[in-house]
Order: sequence, then structure tokens, then C-alpha cells
Amino acid sequence: MVKIIVNGREVEADPKKPLIKACHDNGADVPMYCYHPGLEPVGSCRICQVEVKQGDAPARVMVACRTQPAEGMVVDTESPKAHATRKECLEFLLKNHPLDCPICDKAGECDLQDFTYAEGQDAGRTNEPRRELDKRKSLGDTIVLDQERCILCSRCVRFFEEVPKQAQLTVSDLGSRSVIATFMDRPLKGKYQGNIADLCPVGALTLKKFRFQARVWNLIKMASTCGECSRGCSTTVEVLRGADVKRMRPRENEAVNKFWMCDIGRFSFDRHNRSGRLQGAAVREGVQLVPYPVEEALTRLRDELMREKSGAWILSPWLTIEEGERIKAVAERLGHAVCFVSPAPNSEKDDLLHTGDPCPNRRGLSELGIPAAPVAQALEALRGVKSAVLIGERIVELLGAGELAKVDATKTRVHLVDEYALDIPCVLSVYGVANCVERTGTWVNIDGVRGPISAVKAPPVGARSPAKLIDELVRLMPKLEKAR
Amino acid sequence: MVIVKRKELSLAEKLYLPEVVRGLSVTFRKMFEKPITRQYPEEPLEKTEVTRGQPRLVVKEDDSIACVSCGLCEAACPAYAITIDGGETDRAIEREPKRFDIDMLRCILCGFCEEACPKDAIFMSDELELADYSREALIYNIEKLKRPQAALQQRIDYVKKINTRWQTPSST
Repeated sequence: MVKIIVNGREVEADPKKPLIKACHDNGADVPMYCYHPGLEPVGSCRICQVEVKQGDAPARVMVACRTQPAEGMVVDTESPKAHATRKECLEFLLKNHPLDCPICDKAGECDLQDFTYAEGQDAGRTNEPRRELDKRKSLGDTIVLDQERCILCSRCVRFFEEVPKQAQLTVSDLGSRSVIATFMDRPLKGKYQGNIADLCPVGALTLKKFRFQARVWNLIKMASTCGECSRGCSTTVEVLRGADVKRMRPRENEAVNKFWMCDIGRFSFDRHNRSGRLQGAAVREGVQLVPYPVEEALTRLRDELMREKSGAWILSPWLTIEEGERIKAVAERLGHAVCFVSPAPNSEKDDLLHTGDPCPNRRGLSELGIPAAPVAQALEALRGVKSAVLIGERIVELLGAGELAKVDATKTRVHLVDEYALDIPCVLSVYGVANCVERTGTWVNIDGVRGPISAVKAPPVGARSPAKLIDELVRLMPKLEKAR
Repeated sequence: MVIVKRKELSLAEKLYLPEVVRGLSVTFRKMFEKPITRQYPEEPLEKTEVTRGQPRLVVKEDDSIACVSCGLCEAACPAYAITIDGGETDRAIEREPKRFDIDMLRCILCGFCEEACPKDAIFMSDELELADYSREALIYNIEKLKRPQAALQQRIDYVKKINTRWQTPSST
């Protein structure tokens, strides 16, 4: 650690990290396009220039991302000279940048737009036409490149080189004709492509899935955790008008995912937008499931569970630790068995983030003392009891609707708490449940790091979070209420 | 406490009748002047370039609208009357509105949408009447909002004229 002075304040800086990091850590707002804290600095955009004075030498303007802090350095990020230099840089970056902010999806969260507003350059000084390039160049299934908007910061190029360690993009051609391209126009490969759309400081790289879907300032954003594998990447879930999840983006978390997430998690929001969700409760009367008030359905469930000593609670690994704790307490007092379904690892495992284990809260539930049961074992446990509660989102998906249909309805009475109502003969009652973007709680990832999940939108009418459902059930059990 | 001193009335005022006659003379005089009330539905309002009626989308000569669904009018609208959903198009503008609704019951005719629009797509028309049998019918969709450019030309020219006040010669 060395001592430097940033804007008149003495601060400690790590000499191995670029100067721009020390500036940002101490509240100095230095703009940046090519620099990204997760990538190697190259100093290609030159927008982070600050005035640096070292020893007796006269003050010089230097790029903060390619300068190492040294003892006694005096840095002024707001000096007139630094401002003037940055403004000139900006003018060159804007030389060929199209003025299509109204169309651009990045508008509202664009670094170039923000800094242009901050510097107040409202008009260009050139009369030459801007260069005309391909505005809708497809780079595979995930990404569209707008070559006109690109400012050639090369963040995307460096991302593929440094993070998945598979170089796919490059800056091709020369001078003002330079463009980002893949070799021989091949489509991008791999499951980390989505990250380059987040990295892009302008609107040049956009996700095909998000393209023209929403204006970013209309999105409600909440911190959450990805539920597609046991890594539990920190994410931001973004919802338009309280209805549809439009985007999931990685949230910086040094302990888990740093700045990245895989495309499997990123595009997993489709399932949260599906219609046909279960509203409230339904109880089997005769052969059909009939909609029922939740309280009455729960009363019937309570009567059955309190009567039946041979019972099992089979949990989905998507349940949070708060929900797991409640269910375990109830099951133990009723003398029922409890386990969570642990599906076989899938083939998506890689060296970077994806663990291949689809259970986001495996560790959390295991730490609560709930045993993991592979699918076959869970089905065996289900068949061996007279009364079973399957609880949590995706539980039918995990156990398999076909397998559940084979369960003998005369031997096992099954109650289902899931997102969708499937007519499975052994199921006597179903309850709508809030999924992982509709309820709050905590998951524990494979390394023991706790990740929050947040209610970004409202669940369907009548659907409840498992915690609330269990609380209502417990309230109906007088003896248990006293014991708690 | 405030003591109000009343004006001493003169003899004519005390007699009451002369004052009645004086008042009625004003009434009779007005009866023979040109009336200033307007018989509204029969006599329509005079509409000038500054008339700010309901917002409408301009249909250009090539039958397209200039809107790229950037959402700035939606963001500027103080009454939250506008709802826009964009979508991709093959036209050069890349994006166009798939849904553009203005809730005319919410619209307060402030003209912020016109001011916010970077594409000169929405203008305040001179249409002011608004009546229907249901609330739903007064949520105007994109088809109901379209007006040919000729119908809005007066307002378009006016807005362009006042906008030049803060435009520098070189700005694009």
C-alpha cells in the first residue's frame, strides 16, 4: 500500500491496481469506457485522463487506468487541464457515433450518454458525414452488433480472451474502418456470450432477447440470486410494469461470480413469464380438482396430516433456508419424514461458474439437517407413506409427472405445492406457490455464501410463498402453535 | 379588534330608488351591445397555432409515423397517460411502437410529450372535444391517434419556430 493524494485527500492505494481504481474507491468520478474492473486495462479510449504530479516534475495528464499508483503521487481528477483533455477525447469518440439515442436500448444506462451530458457537448463541430456501417450484424444466437455505435473500447474482445479464455472477437480492419468482428463471421460460441452486452459501455452489443423490449428506466430492478445452479450468482432481476421479467444481469460479488454470469442463468427468466400459473388452492372432489378457498383447503390438509402418522414432506431444492426451517419444524412435530429432492448433475458444468448441480439451495437445506434424496429415493419415500406433501417450485418437474402418475392413489395421498396444476391422479390438493422472483428469502451457495432472493413482482392472485403457506397451516394447528 | 368605519351614505343613496335605476341602466345598456358569450357547440372555438388540444401522432407522406418508441413522452408525461411497447421493425428506424396508448381521460393537454419528442412524431392537435360511452373507448390506441401531417401542419410549423430559440446554428 502506498500513500497518494486524490483531489486533495490523502488515501491509501494498492500499487498493483490501476490508479483509476484508487480514484473510484475514494469518490472521484473518473469516466471510463475501455477500463473495466474485471478486465486487464489497455488504455485505448483515453477518457480516464487525470492530472498527475509526481515529485518535482511538472503535472502531466495521464490515463488513470494504465498508471500505477506510486508513493507521493498527487492526483487531481477535476483540474481544468484534465477536464479539457477528457472533453477533447469525448469529441473524438463522438465523431462517428450515431445520434440514435432514442432508438438505442442502452439509452438511460449508457456511459457515453451520461458523460456527454455531464460535459455538456450538445453539438458536433464537424460537417463530414458519419461513417456508415452495419447496424444489425448478428453475432450468433445471443448478440447483435451495431457497428456504428461501437467506440472500439475492446472490452468484449478482452472478455473472451480473459474470462472464458477462448478468444472469439477481435478488432478487424484499420483506422476509421475498424470494426469488432469474429473470425470469418462465425457465430459466437459458448455460454458466456451475454456478458459482453453488459460490458459494452455503449449500445453496440445488445441481447437479442432484450432488444427493443423495454426502456431501461421503466424497469424495476432488485438484487437477487440466480437459481439455475448451486453457484448462486448474484443477479439483478429487472421487471417491466410489475408483470414480465425482461432481463437478469449479474451483480458484482467478489466472493461468488465477480462480474459475470452464464447464459443459462441469464435467460432463465422465460419460465417466470409463463402463463397458466396456479391461483389459490384446488381440492380433488370426485375425479376433478375444484378451486377451493385456501384456508378451507389447509384445514382439510391439517386434519389429514395430524391424523396420519405415516407422512413425508418432500422439498424442492429451490426452497429457501427460512422455508426449509419452518417445514422441518412442522414435519418433526407431526412425526413425518422430511427430505429434499436432489436431481442428478447435468452436463453444463464448466471451470468458470456453472457447477452442473441444478439445486440452488442444496447447501442451505443440508445445513438445516434435511437429507438429500435422489429422485428415485424420493419417489420411494413417497410410495412408502400414506400422506405426502410435495412442496416448492419445480417439484413436479424434478420428480417427473410421469413417475408421479404411477403412484398408487389408494395407498398414498399426495398434496402438491407448486407453480402449475397438473392433473396427477394421486394428488388430492394443490396450492399455488410464489416462485423465486416473487418471494424473499436466502439461498446458500455451494461455497457457503448466502445469497438473497427478492420479490420483484407479485405472485398470481392467491398463490403464496411456501413460508406463508406453512405459517397459515401452523396457525390452524392449536397444539403446534403453543409449542412454537 | 378591527373597527370598520362605514361610509356615510348620501341622501340619494339613502332614498334607495335612484340607485336601483342606476344599476338597471347598466343592464339595459348591455342588452343592446354585441354579446360576448359564445353559443359553443353551434359556434366552434377559434383555433390558432398555440391551441394545445389532444396529442396526436403525425402520419408522414409515406404513410409511416416517425415514432421510434423511445419512451421519452411516456417519461415526461406528468399524468402517466402514455403507455408504449416497442418492437423491432425492418424500416431504417429499427424500432417502432407495437402499442402506443394515450389515456385521454388522464391526459391534461400539457404538451410535455410534444416537447420531449426527439423525432417530431407527436404534436398537440386542435381537437378538444372528448366524449364517449365508456372509459375503455377513451384510451386511444395507435390507430385512433394517427392524423395526417396536413391536419397538424400549423402546429408543427409553430413548434419548429419556437424551438429555434434555443438551437445553436451547428446543432444537428
